[in-house]
Amino acid sequence: MQTGNKEVVSEVFCSVIEQIAFMFAEVASLEDMAGMDQGFVEASMSFDGQLRGRLSIAVPKDACALIAGNVLGMEPDDPFVTTGAADSLKELLNVTCGHILTSLAGDRPVFDLSIPQVVDLDEEAVQALLAAPGTVAFRVEDAPVLVRLELREG
Amino acid sequence: MALNILIVDDSQIVRSVIAKSLDLANVAVRTLHQAGNGAEALKILVSHPVDLVFADINMPVMGGVELVERMSRDDHLWSIPIIIVSTEGSATRVEELKGMGVRAYLRKPFKPEAIRAVIDEVVGVPNANG
Repeated sequence: MQTGNKEVVSEVFCSVIEQIAFMFAEVASLEDMAGMDQGFVEASMSFDGQLRGRLSIAVPKDACALIAGNVLGMEPDDPFVTTGAADSLKELLNVTCGHILTSLAGDRPVFDLSIPQVVDLDEEAVQALLAAPGTVAFRVEDAPVLVRLELREG
Repeated sequence: MALNILIVDDSQIVRSVIAKSLDLANVAVRTLHQAGNGAEALKILVSHPVDLVFADINMPVMGGVELVERMSRDDHLWSIPIIIVSTEGSATRVEELKGMGVRAYLRKPFKPEAIRAVIDEVVGVPNANG
């Protein structure tokens, strides 16, 4: 991924998570993330239009509930929050994706966006994500968060 | 006058955030209906009085654009104001939707003040404190 695109991903993600979850994110080095053995969940969605590709956000399962609690202004262990944790990650992804596309392509193009999907990631998948081009690492309230923007040619 | 409001979004979290924003914005709500997609919304619309619809664009089964099209062709539903709530930032899309009859567009993320302003623009804000 081009350096400029990583800057856009960083700026947009930090701004969006602050606005919807009142949480502060800072960019971290991928090397600091090596050896993570927590269980992760990943939300991803694709987009098609002037730009084509996929955006994903991976977070530890505990952090997913923390984000949901912050979005709703409720405790992370509230049953409503725990059942809606994946939903909140999808929403964080959805908003981040919309704003990244506007930042990269301007406000005229119309994009077809897929419905976000959430899957569990095993340790091998997390390590692959860390090694993948286009992955940006963040620390959000001490939790590691991985955001990957893939842009496809044509 | 308190409003009968329908929130249409496939995310329970988003529906809760919009409902909470209406409360924080001090909007008087008589009945708050919720639907997970456009098809569920149409069922509610034909069986309950609704003064205002908040709808997402990108939903499974039936998205917001098809919901707007169906409502605009219906003799009983065409006049119900629709506010689209979406992450999409395309001015082209907003113009298309307004051409189809959508009254306002609220881009996520938004603050309670923004939801109040958009309701004020569309129907006039009923204040919860009377």
